[in-house]
Amino acid sequence: MTTTADRATTPVGTTPPPTTPPRAKSRFSRTPRTFYWMVVPALVIFFGLHTVPVISGMFFSLTNYAGYGTWDLVGLSNYVNLFQDSRVLSSYAFTFGFAIVSTILVNVIALAIALGLNARIKFKTAFRGVFFIPYILAILIIGYVFNYLFANSFPAIFTSLGFDGLSGNILADPNFAWIGIVIVTVWQAAAFNVILYLAGLQTIPGELYEAAGIDGASSWRQFRSITFPLIGAYFTINMVLSFKSFLQVFDQIVALTNGGPGTSTESIAMVIYRGGFQGGEYGYQMANAVVYLIVIILVSFIQLRFLQRREASI
Amino acid sequence: MHAPTHPRRPRWRVPVGALAVAALALSMSGCSSAQSDVVTLDFFQFKPEAVQDFADIVEGFEAENPGIRVIQNSVPDPDTAIRTLLVKNKVPDVLTLNVNGNYGELARACIFADLDAEPVVDTVNPAVQQIVQDLGTCAASGEDEINALPFASNASGILYNPDIFAANGVEVPTTWTELIAAADTFTANGVDPFYCTMKDAWTAGPAFVNLGGTLAPDGFFDDLRAEGSNLDSVSFSKDFDEAMQKEVELFSYCQENFASRDYNAGNKAFAEGASAMYLQGSYAIPAIRANNADAPIGSFPYPVTDDADDRVVVSGVDVGIMVGRDTPHPVEAQKFVDYLMSPDVVEGYTAAQSTFSPLENAAPNSDPALAGLEPYFTDGTIIGFIDHQIPASIPLVNLLQSMVITGDSETFLRSLDSEWSKVAARTATQRQGK
Amino acid sequence: MSTLTNNEAFVADTAVDAARPRRRRRLDGGNGGINWWLTALIAVCSLTVLIPLYFTVVTALKTPDQLGGTGFELPTSIRWENFADAYQLTNFPRALLNTALITVGAVVLTLATNSLVAYAIARNMHKKFFKGLYFYFLAAIFVPFPIIMLPVVKETALLGIDTPVGLILLYTVYGLSFNIFIFVAYINSIPIELEEAARMDGASTWGVFRKVIFPLLAPMNATVGILTCVWAWNDFLLPLVVLSDPSAQTLPLAQFIFQGQFNTNYTVAFASYLMALAPLLVVYMIAQKWVVSGVMRGSVK
Repeated sequence: MTTTADRATTPVGTTPPPTTPPRAKSRFSRTPRTFYWMVVPALVIFFGLHTVPVISGMFFSLTNYAGYGTWDLVGLSNYVNLFQDSRVLSSYAFTFGFAIVSTILVNVIALAIALGLNARIKFKTAFRGVFFIPYILAILIIGYVFNYLFANSFPAIFTSLGFDGLSGNILADPNFAWIGIVIVTVWQAAAFNVILYLAGLQTIPGELYEAAGIDGASSWRQFRSITFPLIGAYFTINMVLSFKSFLQVFDQIVALTNGGPGTSTESIAMVIYRGGFQGGEYGYQMANAVVYLIVIILVSFIQLRFLQRREASI
Repeated sequence: MHAPTHPRRPRWRVPVGALAVAALALSMSGCSSAQSDVVTLDFFQFKPEAVQDFADIVEGFEAENPGIRVIQNSVPDPDTAIRTLLVKNKVPDVLTLNVNGNYGELARACIFADLDAEPVVDTVNPAVQQIVQDLGTCAASGEDEINALPFASNASGILYNPDIFAANGVEVPTTWTELIAAADTFTANGVDPFYCTMKDAWTAGPAFVNLGGTLAPDGFFDDLRAEGSNLDSVSFSKDFDEAMQKEVELFSYCQENFASRDYNAGNKAFAEGASAMYLQGSYAIPAIRANNADAPIGSFPYPVTDDADDRVVVSGVDVGIMVGRDTPHPVEAQKFVDYLMSPDVVEGYTAAQSTFSPLENAAPNSDPALAGLEPYFTDGTIIGFIDHQIPASIPLVNLLQSMVITGDSETFLRSLDSEWSKVAARTATQRQGK
Repeated sequence: MSTLTNNEAFVADTAVDAARPRRRRRLDGGNGGINWWLTALIAVCSLTVLIPLYFTVVTALKTPDQLGGTGFELPTSIRWENFADAYQLTNFPRALLNTALITVGAVVLTLATNSLVAYAIARNMHKKFFKGLYFYFLAAIFVPFPIIMLPVVKETALLGIDTPVGLILLYTVYGLSFNIFIFVAYINSIPIELEEAARMDGASTWGVFRKVIFPLLAPMNATVGILTCVWAWNDFLLPLVVLSDPSAQTLPLAQFIFQGQFNTNYTVAFASYLMALAPLLVVYMIAQKWVVSGVMRGSVK
């Protein structure tokens, strides 16, 4: 009986042990050419359609290109201006805070739901379909529905329950609008993560649980000793990827608050997109985007290291 | 066990490959025109509410001009779409765009053709054309070109409910003092003077453009631009102080919870008589009527000062018509533009969309809701939207939203100055036309 | 690695224990397999999803003047014409066809190619070239889209692939990073002995992939398939900037027509979104069964 999830932890960030025992190496040494054929076309097309644009975008960060018309090289002045722009800096602060809270919440909730959907419950398929719905709902719907709920329904409910402090529209409060956005983002993103966690949970053979059950292990003990370690790889993947994608939050902000009230909920991606494409400051916002890229890579790398070290210690 | 020297392609690759080739062939064949003697014009149309109106117009044009086909491209997200088309060097033949700051930047970059020599230019109301010109033109030939013709204009003022005014014995205010007195009267009688919708930040804009536009010194924005990033002689803090204090005062009469109500809720509420006045312009009228077709609506210009003769109406060109500079079909494109600007077509659109006709000898708009603003438009007592002069990279409406919610005009003016000077510093070179 | 041995030992121990006759304490409390408490809990949680969905459906049936109040009221008069209006305004058949073509193309091309690349990388991680390739592809996951947006627009226009076919290619290429990441992880768990056995029977590398690996990837293929499908179906930005021909508009682009310059036609918009949603839901219901059954098959060795 093999467990499938451990191998997943090996590739990134650590030196992977050889996946094949030494004696088999010689058997494969005559086939690498086929492997090269398998990857080279993809490599070429990927380079052309992804890497070249990245380099191009980075180049434009050194110019004052508006997206059309003539442009000149301006060197690093875009970057200098960037660090003096309080609007940009506060968008970074907001986005980070938002991403940290959302990542933790989404992963905890998605794991809990995936555990529930994986257990022996009735109407399993139906429930799985239900929890998938937020992921495929268009952002316009989500924006309208939740705007309405926050503006009308929730205040009415809270007032009737006596919580007068919560009787306002949370999205209209400059200090707490971000909480409303977190709620909606988590609601929608949990669906995606539930799929990934379900896939991970289903790689755990049922026999392990039965054996543990026979041994008298409680559900929590089973979770701690069987489930969590075995889906460690999925947990790591999900944490890193959800953090990365929350750092890039854009749709939900536009749909719910449009950066408001005031500029309190402007995210980095929103500032780049708005300023770069609709505001005509393409070159400047590309500098912002390059810094953004570096930040994302750094943060993800640190996060990965931290989580993998924690994984290995279990 | 010898590995083959070149790989045997797995069988499923062939059908996938064939599918790809077939799809490619299909997509490319769709691009070629059916007949070589029919000219097809690519018509970029930005306004979703007007898609059907323009479809009807196109039908009429094609009936009169059998050799020309016009394909209306009703574009999602026009600001992004036009920019990507420019990047691809695929400027459309004929375009409609909202004539605002973005248009001005595009015009200065010489994207649009010069329509100066066309006879249809002479049919346009000069005051309206001036508003278009003030936003920016291509200066490549040495003199200012005419890069867009106005097709439909709007007007920004204050909408009011005549029934509620009559019921409370209030007359239409002609001075600022009268306006505030009216608001006080309504409050005393338990009626909300204004229904405000600050969940949508842009709805603080109309008051800004009216108050600021009237009270700003002449040539303010030109001086501001000439200063660069050091706002010494003119600045928002110095010159917009009175205007912003007035805006804060107006918004202090808003209903409860105005920060959580949005534009849709506002249209519905005003349509149902929830407030005496509504700080929106002519473009809101169709939306209000969608909630209640018999809603009583009237309008009057902002009485910004205590001199009734100072009153102007802020008017913008809601729909402007342009021709792509390097269009391969200039003659046909011009024919279509001439058709669009013909009096019947313009008046048909005006009636359908509650806008003002930009033509010089047009019959005045007969919608009673617009009766209060109409004379100013016909006389040419109009000014442009000043927010079109502020670069889109400055979050103007967000700052306005903060201001009216907190009531703090000083922070707003300081922030606006700071953002302006940052943008001025970043604009290292002025974009010159080719 | 130590996790592996720990669990093997744990399982081995308990297997030995199981051989001894003991009173079995059932996990499920003797209900014949259904955990009703958990079912109820999940049902309550699913309300958080169903309530907004109900909101959506109800709004799609109303007229604009009925919007308001708490939002949960049933429509006083149902306006089925909202769906007909949506159908006509978005040119639904054409938009649906465009979207379907692009989505199906993207899913097929992705499934056909991405696992192949992942396989080659996974089996050659000891070689510098492939390891470098792995990290090269992975790094692209972190690149935010605005950086590449305008250059991609220009490039696709230059190369003449600003068409639905070009979009299919873009979805496949941009999905490569994430898909390689999860495919490699999954492939690493497939024991090498299976491939060795196939080779001993004379299969080439392609043959090994086709006959041994690809079938085992079924659950991952289903997962990747679903994710790609949803992405391509709902994506707004790439079709907006890449497609030049208006007749190639996809559903999300066509549905933008409801967002007017100043206000939004919510009732018809929601009807339209519901119509666009239905195929996706059906696809998910079908595909997620494969995820389950494939894994069950794969884990019993």
